[in-house]
Amino acid sequence: MHEATIEFQDVSYVVDHHRTLLSSLSLAVHKGEIVMFLGRSGSGKTTLLKLINGLLQPSRGEVRVQGKPTSEWNLIQLRRHIGYAIQEVGLFPHYTVRQNVTLVPNLQGWEKERVEARLRESMRLVGLSLEEFGSRYPHQLSGGQQQRVGLARALAADPPILLMDEPFGASDPLTRGELQEEFRLLQKSLGKTVVFVTHDVSEALLLGDRIALIDGGRLQGVFTPHEFLNSDIPVAKSYAESFRAMQKIFES
Amino acid sequence: MTRRALLAALSLFFAGCRPRSRQVTIGSKNFTEQLILGELLAQYLEKAASLPVERRFYLAGTYICHQALLARRIDLYVEYTGTALTAILKSAQRGDSQAVYQAVKSEYQRRWRLEVMPPLGFNNSFAIVMRGPEARQMNVKTLSDVAPHAPQLRMGIGYEFLEREDGYPGLVAAYGLRFAEAPRVMDLGLLYRALENRQVDVVAGSNTDGLIAALDLVVLQDDRRYFPPYDAVPIVRPETLQLFPPIKRCLQGMAGQITAEEMRRLNYAVDGRKVDPVTVAREFLEKKQYFQSPA
Amino acid sequence: MGMNFIRFLSNHRQEVLTLTGEHLWLVAASMFLAVVIGVPLGILLTRRPKWTPAVLGFNNVMQTVPSLALFGLLMPVPWLGMRAGRLAIVALTLYALLPVVRNTYTGITGVDPGVRYAANAMGLTSAQLLWRVELPLSGPVIIAGIRVATVIAVGVATIAAAVGAGGLGEFIFRGLSMVDNNVILAGAIPAALLALLADAALGGLQRVLLRHRHGRQ
Repeated sequence: MHEATIEFQDVSYVVDHHRTLLSSLSLAVHKGEIVMFLGRSGSGKTTLLKLINGLLQPSRGEVRVQGKPTSEWNLIQLRRHIGYAIQEVGLFPHYTVRQNVTLVPNLQGWEKERVEARLRESMRLVGLSLEEFGSRYPHQLSGGQQQRVGLARALAADPPILLMDEPFGASDPLTRGELQEEFRLLQKSLGKTVVFVTHDVSEALLLGDRIALIDGGRLQGVFTPHEFLNSDIPVAKSYAESFRAMQKIFES
Repeated sequence: MTRRALLAALSLFFAGCRPRSRQVTIGSKNFTEQLILGELLAQYLEKAASLPVERRFYLAGTYICHQALLARRIDLYVEYTGTALTAILKSAQRGDSQAVYQAVKSEYQRRWRLEVMPPLGFNNSFAIVMRGPEARQMNVKTLSDVAPHAPQLRMGIGYEFLEREDGYPGLVAAYGLRFAEAPRVMDLGLLYRALENRQVDVVAGSNTDGLIAALDLVVLQDDRRYFPPYDAVPIVRPETLQLFPPIKRCLQGMAGQITAEEMRRLNYAVDGRKVDPVTVAREFLEKKQYFQSPA
Repeated sequence: MGMNFIRFLSNHRQEVLTLTGEHLWLVAASMFLAVVIGVPLGILLTRRPKWTPAVLGFNNVMQTVPSLALFGLLMPVPWLGMRAGRLAIVALTLYALLPVVRNTYTGITGVDPGVRYAANAMGLTSAQLLWRVELPLSGPVIIAGIRVATVIAVGVATIAAAVGAGGLGEFIFRGLSMVDNNVILAGAIPAALLALLADAALGGLQRVLLRHRHGRQ
């Protein structure tokens, strides 16, 4: 097992022959850590996620997952070993909560008992009662509940890697705060390798072991939260300032 | 609700698909002569051979009748040899009555195994018609006879006759007819009235037109055999003959039993005297004693 | 006049049923072909979007050609013109194709992009995406297309009698020849009822499918 679970080696991604979404990005994500990709909308963060599970292939450079380049992976299998939670949540509206969560395990051909056990565990991890919510359809859930189900779905097959694309973005601040805190505790116990995309600096500081700052398609730097707040890099400084400004408002 | 609707549709569907073998379906085209012939056949088979008959008349044309026969929607109808030859078989062959009949009979057998029965006895081809008194006075009986008189005569024709290859242009060429002026073209229904009112002297009608019998009109003989023969023949499916053997005898018994003159009178009864075709057919069959055919 | 008509119908019961059966056969056969060709074609278009303008354009042209003209155009075609039944079914299928193909295409492309993103990210194969996500979610839209196509087919099938394919149109044409209203109505009313029935039945099917899908995200 390679040390770095996910590795970007000088990766560039160009669209339509002239629009560069990412340039020369090199980064290693280690087993068991949460790396927050922080950046503005359009900075290339989602593209980064899609390069990890092969939804996109790099124009230059290489993306490796567990030591193997994505171009060599069986992409279907790769994706089934990666949990993916997105902002739109994307629950299948015609599936019950149960059907949504157990989809990947069923696709992988697990025995019924194992699927059932894993379903219970996932629901427990996200704090939802299986008895109460199992047979409900997504439209019968609140926004926050849907996001929890989305997370349960990502966890269902017990994947070693989680990719999170602003998964709590569509919630009100209170719910978002709850979800963030619960996720933080969850990650402590599960120890999965997580790549988490966000534009929210407080979320990045709260959840991340490390923060990768993306601006204009380039990696501006990788920091621990403490390093981030004290960095000299202009973009980081702006973020840090806005964060401190918010804190001041709360303190006063 | 959906299931019930589906069942209803399916049962309707199958209700329509009753086994055709239980009766003889007789077809006809949608003009008077065909309706009369259809009725004649129907009543004849019903009374003389006690067969169950279904009528499917008013089919809108030759192509449709032929298709209906092939698709087994009808079992029997009366066609004209000339029409079968040109419109259905698309053959350029010409010849006299016998030749055309044989050609049609063998081709129908070869291509579709359909049986073309012997002609009923009359020809429904184009007929060049004159007023009786004038014809007798000028002593013209054939088209060749009338040719020298053409410059003094005016002709009336229908649109189709003008357009068809075997229509006006060919006729004029075949007999060297030099009319004083171009023919007057009008609706078929008005031709005989124009002839009667002396607006024209010669018209191109059909050999079995009812008015030929009613008014004193003369059909000029086509001595150079310009017009192809249009002998009326029953056409029947082989399976029908097998299922109902009496039909063969009946149809053969009808051979040559209806003359052109008789057909004209039947047509006139319906078109002119407004008698209903069912009655006209019945009275004719009674008069002919059902062709004295064994049941 | 109403009683007269009812009496006519009961006197000609067998014939009405026969012609209705023929009519149903024409519609059923052509709708079957339209669905069997049209739905996969619509799916194919979502995978090869470059073909969409050409295919939908062709379908559009077919629909614009007046039905009687299309029957006439197809008649000289070798194998086709030989049997009125074949001719009619091919023409009807061409008419029914557009709504089916177009609705399949829009139904599938109209699937919530978030759902599609999630499905791909979860590792569904293309086939699994089609069968588990795209088709179930676009089901109601596809059925709506089939519904429109069926009603069109019932209507155009009345013209089929003009080329000898039988069906309720035969009553209508015959009635016009005979100048007899009862005969015309004996064809027109069942045809109209068939169209309404088909529409209602498929509408019911649509509702049944929608029950499992109340409200998208």
